[in-house]
This record gives sequence, structure tokens and C-alpha cells, in this order.
Amino acid sequence: MSYLLRKLGIFVFTLWVAATLNFVLPRLVPGDPVSVMLAKYQGRLDPAAVDALKIAYGLNDLGSPVSQYFSYLGNLLRGDFGRSISLFPTPVIDVVRMALPYTLGLIGVTTIISFVLGSALGLYSGWRRGGVVADGLTPVALFLNAMPYFWFGLILLYVFAFQLKWFPLSGALDPFPGDTYSAGWWSSLLRHAALPVFTILVTSVGGWLITMRNNVINVAGEDYLAFARAKGLTERRIISRYVLRNALLPSFTAFGMALGFVVGGSILTEIVFSYPGLGFYLYQSVTNLDYPLMQAIFFFIALAVLLANLLVDFVNVLLDPRIREGQA
Amino acid sequence: MSQPTAPISTNASTPTNTIPNTLEIVNLRKVFGTRGKAGGVVAVNDVSFAIARGEVLGLVGESGSGKSTIARLIARLYTPTSGEIRLNGQPVPSRLGGRALRHLRKNVQMIFQDPYASLNPVHPVSYTLKRPLQIHGLARGDTEEQVNSLLERVGLSPASTYASKRPFELSGGQRQRVGIARALAVRPELILADEPTSALDVSIRLDVMNLMLDLKDQEGLSMLFITHDLAGARYMSDRVAVLYAGTLVEIGPAVEVIDRPQHPYTQLLKSAAPKPDAGLVPETIEARGEVPDLKTLPPGCPFEPRCPHALPECKAGLPRMYDVGEGHTARCILHDPAVQARRGQEVGVSR
Amino acid sequence: MSGLRQFFGQPRSLVGAGFLLILLVASLCAPLITPYDPNSLEFGPFMPLSAQHWLGTTALGQDIFAQFIYGARLTLLVGAVAGLIATLLSVTFGLAAAYLGGRVDEAINTLINVFLVLPGLPLVIVASAFLRGGGVWPVILVISFTGWAFGARVLRAQALALRERDFVQAAVVAGEGPGRIIFREMLPNMAGLIAANFFGAALYAVLSEAALSFIGVGDVSLVTWGTMLYWAQAKGALLQGAWWWVALPGLGIALLGTSFALLNFAIDEISNPKLGRSNVKLPARKKPAPGAGVGNPDALLSIRDLNVGYLTPGPTVRAVRDVSLDVQPGELLGLAGESGCGKSTLAFAVTRLLDPPGAVLGGSVRLAEHDLLNLSPEELRRVRWKEFSMVFQASMNVLNPVLKIREQVYDAMQAHGVTDKQKLDARARELFDLVGIQASYLDAYPHQLSGGMKQRVVIAIALALEPKLIVMDEPTTALDVVVQRQILQEINDVRRRLGISIIFITHDLSLLVEMSDRVAIMYAGEVVELAPAHQLYAHPAHPYTQQLMNSFPPMTGPRTRRSGIPGKPPSLSAEIVGCPFFERCNKRMPGVCDVKPLQTFPVAEEQTAACFLYDPTVSPALKENAIRDSQHVQMEVSRESAHSANLN
Repeated sequence: MSYLLRKLGIFVFTLWVAATLNFVLPRLVPGDPVSVMLAKYQGRLDPAAVDALKIAYGLNDLGSPVSQYFSYLGNLLRGDFGRSISLFPTPVIDVVRMALPYTLGLIGVTTIISFVLGSALGLYSGWRRGGVVADGLTPVALFLNAMPYFWFGLILLYVFAFQLKWFPLSGALDPFPGDTYSAGWWSSLLRHAALPVFTILVTSVGGWLITMRNNVINVAGEDYLAFARAKGLTERRIISRYVLRNALLPSFTAFGMALGFVVGGSILTEIVFSYPGLGFYLYQSVTNLDYPLMQAIFFFIALAVLLANLLVDFVNVLLDPRIREGQA
Repeated sequence: MSQPTAPISTNASTPTNTIPNTLEIVNLRKVFGTRGKAGGVVAVNDVSFAIARGEVLGLVGESGSGKSTIARLIARLYTPTSGEIRLNGQPVPSRLGGRALRHLRKNVQMIFQDPYASLNPVHPVSYTLKRPLQIHGLARGDTEEQVNSLLERVGLSPASTYASKRPFELSGGQRQRVGIARALAVRPELILADEPTSALDVSIRLDVMNLMLDLKDQEGLSMLFITHDLAGARYMSDRVAVLYAGTLVEIGPAVEVIDRPQHPYTQLLKSAAPKPDAGLVPETIEARGEVPDLKTLPPGCPFEPRCPHALPECKAGLPRMYDVGEGHTARCILHDPAVQARRGQEVGVSR
Repeated sequence: MSGLRQFFGQPRSLVGAGFLLILLVASLCAPLITPYDPNSLEFGPFMPLSAQHWLGTTALGQDIFAQFIYGARLTLLVGAVAGLIATLLSVTFGLAAAYLGGRVDEAINTLINVFLVLPGLPLVIVASAFLRGGGVWPVILVISFTGWAFGARVLRAQALALRERDFVQAAVVAGEGPGRIIFREMLPNMAGLIAANFFGAALYAVLSEAALSFIGVGDVSLVTWGTMLYWAQAKGALLQGAWWWVALPGLGIALLGTSFALLNFAIDEISNPKLGRSNVKLPARKKPAPGAGVGNPDALLSIRDLNVGYLTPGPTVRAVRDVSLDVQPGELLGLAGESGCGKSTLAFAVTRLLDPPGAVLGGSVRLAEHDLLNLSPEELRRVRWKEFSMVFQASMNVLNPVLKIREQVYDAMQAHGVTDKQKLDARARELFDLVGIQASYLDAYPHQLSGGMKQRVVIAIALALEPKLIVMDEPTTALDVVVQRQILQEINDVRRRLGISIIFITHDLSLLVEMSDRVAIMYAGEVVELAPAHQLYAHPAHPYTQQLMNSFPPMTGPRTRRSGIPGKPPSLSAEIVGCPFFERCNKRMPGVCDVKPLQTFPVAEEQTAACFLYDPTVSPALKENAIRDSQHVQMEVSRESAHSANLN
């Protein structure tokens, strides 16, 4: 499976690039990062936190940048991301561990629903091209896709949580939701997730719709479709086995590629709704200048997106016999 | 793969031996997609032939036979893996640049198959024809006049109306004439015509072929005429070379090769061509199967797996070229005197 | 350029460009529109909407409307500049990869893949966090450097394709250097994609800037729509009920983004005509004349006065004109003609596979007892493949690439009621045996088969239900001669064995004459001659047929110079008076052929020609004159060839 091996190679390489960017970016700031940060905190910092910062930046061993780099990579492999500054002395990894399930639950699940829904609408819009509804979907999709996620979230928050009070204003759970996984807990979780989910759905569904529509239109012009019609196949079969199977392939690829962008945007919705996921903590770390946490969160978002991409590649192999034989 | 170098047949059509051949290629080889590793596609397998001044050599083969690759090697759109190309007796260096490359570009021009793809849609005809003149310092004063005279020469008149047109305003035949004019602009010695008529409608093919023949006579050009159509090769060429799976299998005077083919593959090609006058009954072809995968060519004769006359020794190694007539050679073991003697009176390949 | 005209002919692009223009003008003329300085804090906080302050004031006492108008400046600037830089990067990397190829291409491609999957916005956030406070430029740069990869991927793919195009190769052969090749040959052909890419990147930039500003990285002292949202959120605008402070800048971003997307989309549609295929409204078609019982009752297929056209914004292209043809049971009817003569259109119209803008304009088609043009969609579906099947020209592409061959053989039969797995398998094996393919290929995917084998599979599928008629549109044109010949032999064997009728369409007349029972010659949408194959070959009646026959170089005999047919066919969108071949005919009779309405005349038994040479009402003297003139021309040609072509 040279195709998958290559994809795996790109996965590892990209992850390495993400890690290296994390290492390089703070060093691009003029002066040594720790003193710059200390200056910003203006002495409000615990001396232990200063040490933690130095360790985080590999400045404690006073080695060359190269040896700092390798000790940084070593720490990374051991899962040691240092300690958070704003939540000192909590290890960064613990913060991530706390936030990750919320992000996966909210953004992961919603992105998949959005992809399925958008693709279904795109299939309709492309196949029934020329109809009023089908053609009218395109400009609507373009508009929804151009809305800033966080802005739409704010509006929803204002209308449905602030004015109408149908949904809670912030957080992921009520303060005392009852036992974990109990009915009350679930209802609390879902009520808190409803607005963020809706925000992400509405603002991201348009992109998948347009992608799928274009793919369907392209497939509709293929000779094998004319042949399928000539064979007298039922429309059901033509759509499921000929149109969908072929139009989904480029859609999946587009899904993988757009994932980084979509996840990046979705993260902002967490901020609006104070939803305690990675995006929320990313925002917290940015406002509190918590660089170790910021970098760890970036690394984990990158990891999640890359893993999702790898998954897309696996699915592609299952769906497309040409890739299976390395001919694509 | 060692094999006796085929003698380069500079045959009767060369007027005297004092004028060097316009083109000679010796053991030309191109392997694609290896990057130093083994197991590439051998697109051109040690091909040798020559084209004398004023001669048209027809290069015949099916898709994947390597005929286009040979033209692109000569035009240096690809770099040969090994072998030598000589222009007017002078070897073209394997690393080309500067003056030597410019010399090659001026003397070797190409006509492409698809007239819809070979003209840049954004440029008017005049730009396409002016550029070669400017590149090679042939533009004198009024290039417009030079462009117009080129257009007139390829039968596009009144030239001034065609000069300002863009490709989408022209028909396929007109485009191909522009392509021919572009090739002629720098007064090259050798024209590589890569299936110049196969994308054209039947009714205009002949006129384009006639134009090329006329221009060749007027300018004393040499021409490599690549085609998959035996009848077209017969019409256009002085000599014909037949390629199969990257290997030259037969070469000789056009009428000789096509009327009396000596290699079983050429015979197959001929029997497959449409013959409306052959009694209106489809002729049955003996050879089955299709062209082998160029990645896994058999060590022996590449046609052996399909050949109705195959012998055990055909698998042993690539046969050499055997003389089968005046200036006519074929790469088939059936012409080996030893094989012929052993087979006695059984079957002769040449019927 | 027609592309531009097409571009501005679309409502989408007009809306997009219009909104962008209004915004640009408004932001540039901001001082004329609002008297207030966006940064001045001179008013009271949270003032409501009023005549002085159309949109009230901020928590700090700035005029919101003024902020909105002035904020457009920087927002547009970020979009335009970041879009430009990102596009520049995309073009540079895409072209460099495609032009230089080899390892450079591999390296750039890896880089593109890395940047594609790196989550852009978090990266931008992290990067900006380190670079914050430096005004708008660091933001622009960071956005550009994270946003170029998507465009680079698309542009690289197009540049790679262009690199292999013949016109680029031709420029190399002409001696052009790399600079000219890239900037004069390749780049102009990528203009559409580059423009589309720019608008895509600008959309990304505007959204990213808004996001960055909103979370407070970037420079919040500047006035952009993004920073407006930041301050609105930071100062609790919504809690104060000043929802318009939030709503307006966000709506602005959404509309700006939409206009970028509309422009991107519109340009995309022009560069990819498939997407934009305009939906020409078909005129309500008159119910075609009932076709049941028309034509020769013995014939299997009867086409009567069929007219087919393509509806364009301009005049209708009449591709098939008053064609009447019969196909007898078991007959192989050859249909020959050059590109654009309407032969494929005829096939698609008869099989009802014609897609808009193609449309049947009149006439009738009867197959056995079915009135083909009047079948309902469901009736048609049932008749298809059972009564008639079709083999397409591009056999390479008619098989679904993601389904096994077996499934594609089965589904034709399943659609018509054969569902028993054993029967299906047995029949599939039988069919493959019939066309000479091993049954093991049933479990292969199309890409595992050579072109010749795919065409055999398609023919096997066409035979699956033993239809009465198979329409074959250039079934072997894309194949090599040897494979072509093998397949033709198989077609011939099978149809004789099963008694199937075939309409065989090709431009290769010599091939057709060899294998057809009867041949119809089409020219400019008309059938100009119809005759048994041997008769057509021995005594072609129509001058076009004669000249076409003479256009094939012979395989035997002495080599003499021949001539093709000068000129080109008439435009099918024009009304043709008289004979469409008049301009190119060597036996034309001015005053007759270009005046009289075209008619078909009997020439011999079973042979007809649409030529006035066979019109009994035209004077014999005129005809003799015309024929004599043509012979005169022919003699000149052969005299010329005597000294130029006949080298041997």
C-alpha cells in the first residue's frame, strides 16, 4: 500500500512541521522569549512559574538552539508540554485532557453531520439543476459560508439565550447536572451544545453543499452516466451507484483539505459560547499570554486534523479502486 | 541488451554519398520513470535509422510504440537515456545548452498532431508565426510581411485576414496550416511531423499532406512523418520504418515495405487496415492479444507472444535486422539463413 | 474576450462586482458620507439610533456608522492585499513546481500538502500572538502565508496540464526560453483560475482578519469590521441591547465574503464550462407527430423527417435536417460523415439521449411497435436496452470507474427484470465468451482493462438483453488498427449469429464500405446518399461521396497525387439554400444547385442521392457541362502529380 505509506509519511512530516513551528515562533520574537514574557507580566509571576517557563522553552540548559530543539522534541514525545502559566501549576497536558472531549464532541460530531447534510443538499442541488430550489440553494450557501462563525454565534446567543432565554448563555453543563450520563446530565449537555452546534452547522454546511454540487455536475457530464441512462437503469440506482459514488470521492478529498479551515473557524464558536473546549482555552491562553498552553493546543488541534485527514485517506482507499492500485 | 549495431541504411534515395544525412539516430534509447531505479518503461529500445536530405521517412506504429517519443527525443523535448543523434553528420551533444541548443531549435522543427492543442488560444496567428523569426534572428524589418508570405505559402490567403485571427476562429485544417507555417518559419532542415493529419477530417487530410509534400520539394526539407496509417505513410514517404513496442522491426522503401511486408507485425498491421476494395469481406487476422506492457517486455522478440509464426528461439533474444531486399531490412528470425535452412520448404514468411 | 462578456452576462458576477464596487467607493469617500471621525470619542456612550447617529454610538462614544464606513477601508485592504500575496505565492509555487518538475515539484507538492492540512486559523492565532501589536501588516503577512496552499494545489495541477499541452511544447521547439514559456504561454491561460483563486483567498483573508481581531490578537487600536466586533463584544454591546453594533460589521463581512465568493464562483463556471452550462429554456415542444405505424412497415427502425437542433442564445444550430432512414431487421446500416455532419446527434436523438441544449425539433422515430419520441420516461426506461442498446464513442469513459465490471454487466439486466444471481452470472460469462474476454475479468475494475478490452465489455453489455437494434457511435475510433479489426470481426460474427440490426457510425468510409449492408452518407445534417455498400463503392453517385472516396490514399497500385475536398462545410446555424455541398462541389451547376430546394432522387435500385445531377427536370446539357468541368480539373491534378509526387 504505497499510497497509504506516502500519506502516513506526510502525516508524520506535517506533525513535525507543526511541532517545529511551535518551537520556532517564540524565538522569532526579538529578545529571549522568557524575558519578553516576564516584561509583559511585570513581576506578577510566581518564581516557580518563571522556572517552568524557562524549562518550557529549553532555556534552562543554556545549550545551543539545536540541543534545545532536541530536548523540546524529546519532551513532546513524552507528552510533556510543560506547565500552564495562567493555571499554574497545572500541567498543560491536563488542561488539554480536560478540554479535548468537549471539542471532539462538539466540533468533531458537528463537522461530520454538516458534511453529510451539506453533501446531501449538494447532491440535490446538482442533480436537480435548473429547478428553482436547487439553483436558489447556491447563493444562500455562499452567503452562509461567508458569515463569520463567531458573529452568527453571537447573534444566536443574543436572540435565543439572552432575549428568549431558551438556551443557557455559556458553558457545557449546568453547575450541578446530576450524575454523569444520567438523563439530567445528558439533557444539560445537549441544551448547552444546541446553539454552538447550530452555529457550526449553519455556517459550514454551505461549503460542503457547493463542493458536492460541483462534483455532481461534473459527474453528470461523464460518459458513464449517459451510458447508465441508456441502459435503462432506475434513477435511484443511477444516483446511488453512479452519481454519488463518484461525486463523493473528490468531496472526501475536499473534506480532508478543508478540515483545517473548518475546525479553525469552529473553535471560535467555543469562545462565543464559553464552551470549555480547546478553542476556549486557546482564547484564554492568548489573552493571558499563556504560551505553553497556546502551543500545546495548537499542536493537538493539528494532530486531530491530521488524524482526521488520515482517516479520510483510508476511506478513499476503500471507495476508489484506482487509488487502491496506486493509479490515482 | 547487446545487439549488433544495425547498419544505417542510407539507401538509394540519397543522390550522392557526399551529402551527409540530415538525420542519423544510432541506438537511441529512452527509459521513462526510473529515477535511477530499475524497472522503468522502455519507450524507445535502441532504435537506429537515417533520413537523407530531401527524404521523407514514414514512421509507423500503434499507440505506445514509441513513435512520438522518438520525435520528441530528436526535438529534445525529452533527453535520450542513451544513443546518439546526428544532424548533418554532427553529433548532437547529450548535454545541450546555449548555441548548440539554438542551432538544434533552428534546424529541427515539429508539427503536432492536434491542431486544437498546438496553438496557444490566447495568441493571434501573427504572434505564433513571428516568435520563431524573432528568436532566431530572422526577423527583418517588416515581420508582418514575412508572416504574410508564410501564410500565403501554406495556402492561407488573403494572409492579412488570417494573421490577426485567434485559433478559435479557425477550422481544424486552417489551424494545422498555421502549425505547418510555424514549423517552416525558421527554414529548418528537418521537420518532425507527429501524426499531422490524424486529427483532421478525411476530406482535408489529403490537402494538408499535399501541402507538406509541395513544401518539402520547394525547400529541400527532410521529414520524419509519423503515422499509424499505412496508406498515409505510403502516400507521403520515400521510406517507411515500422515500430513495435519501442523496437524498430522493419525499414525499407515505402512501397516495398507496405506492398511486401517482411515482418509478421507489419503483415498484421497491413491485414488490419480497411480494404474496401478487397472483396468487401472482413479478413480474419491470425494474431490475437494486444501490445505487451512496456514495463515487462519479453527478453526476445517483443512480437513473439502474438506472432503466428513464433519459434522457440524467438524468445532467446532480440533478433538482429536481416536484409530482405534492396535497402529493406526486417528484425525477424525467419529471415535467418540457418532458420530458413532448417525449416526447409515448410513455411516462408515472405509470401 | 468572450470570457469577460460571459462574466458580465451573469447575474451572480454582477451582484458580486456591484457590491464590491459600492463598498470600495463608499469607503474611499467616507468623509463625504459621514461627518464623524471613527476614532473620536466625543459623544456619549451607547447612544441609541437617531438622526445624528444613524447607528448610535459605541461604549466609548464613537459613531458606529462612521466606524463601519471607515472600517471597510482596512477590511478591504486586508482582503485585497492578503488575497494578492497569497495568490502570488500560489502562482509562484504552482508554476515553479509544474515547470521545473522532478524533485522541485515533489518538494513543493509536499509543502503544499503540509500547509493544506495544518489548521490555518489556530496557526494564525498562535503566530499573531507572538507578533501582535504591529499594525495591520503582520496580520496580512501571516494570513497570506497560511492561505496560499489551497490555490497552489489547484494552480499546480493546471500548470502541469498546460506544461504538457502541445502549444507549450511547440514554443519549446521554437526555441522560447523559460521566461516566455511561463509568462507568455502558460500564465495567460491560467488567468481565469488565478482570478478565481484571488477571490477565494480574499474571502479567507477577510474571515481570518475578523476572527483574529475578534479574539484580540492583531491590532485592536485599528478600525476594521473585525475590531468593531471585538470592542462590541468586550464592552458587552449585546447586554446593553445595542445589538446593531454587533450585527452591522458582521453583516458587512458576510456580504463582502459573499461577493468574493460569487466572483470566485462565476469565474469558476466560466473556466469549467460544465458547471456553467447555461440552462437554455427549451421551447415547449410541439407534441411530435405520432410515430406509430410510420414509414416502411417491414423496417425495424423508421426515422421520418427528423429535425434535431441545438438551442443557443443565437440562432438554433440545425444539426440534423429532415432525415428519413429505415433499418431492416438484421441489417448493418453504416452512417458516415465528417465531424459536425450530425451523425452523432442523429444517434443521440434516435436513442433519446440528447441532453439540452440539444432538442428534437420535429419528425418521428418508430422502433418495432414503439413510438420512441413519444414514450414517457418510465416507458422509455423499460424499452431501453431491451429493444435497443448503444455503444458509445468514448468507450474508455463509459464504464463507471468505481464499480466492478460484473456489477455493470448485471445492472443492465437487473433493471429489466433479471434478478436471479445464477442466471446473471451464467449470462455474463456467456457474453464475455461471445466477445472474447476471459470471464475472470468480470471481477476486475475498469482501469485494470486495456482500451480494447473495455470496448469489448461495452459491446458485451450492449448484447446482454439481445436487443433488436444496437446503435454504435464510432465504437472503434480510439483504438489501434489491429484491435479495431478484431473487434469489428466480433461485431460482425455476433450480429450475424443473433440477427441483430446495427447502425454503425464512423467517419471512416473505407471501413464502413467493407462491413455494412447499406451506407448512408451525411453532410451538413442531411443524408446526401444512401446505397448498398458495394454499389456505393463501385458507383458512388453524389459528388461528395465520390470526392470523399478519392480522399483516402490507396494501399495498392501506383502512387499518384490525389486531392482532398477544398473548403469546409457550411455553418449549421445558417439557413442553407439549395445543396449544402455546393461551395465545395466539383460538379456544381450554378443557377440550379444553389437555388432549388434540396430533394432526394433515385439513382439506381436501392440507391438515392440528394443531388440535382439526378434531377430529371434539370437539362442534360447542364449536367454534362458540370461533369466535363470536373474531369478537366482532375486531369490537371494528375498531370501535376506526374512530376511531383510519383517518385518511384
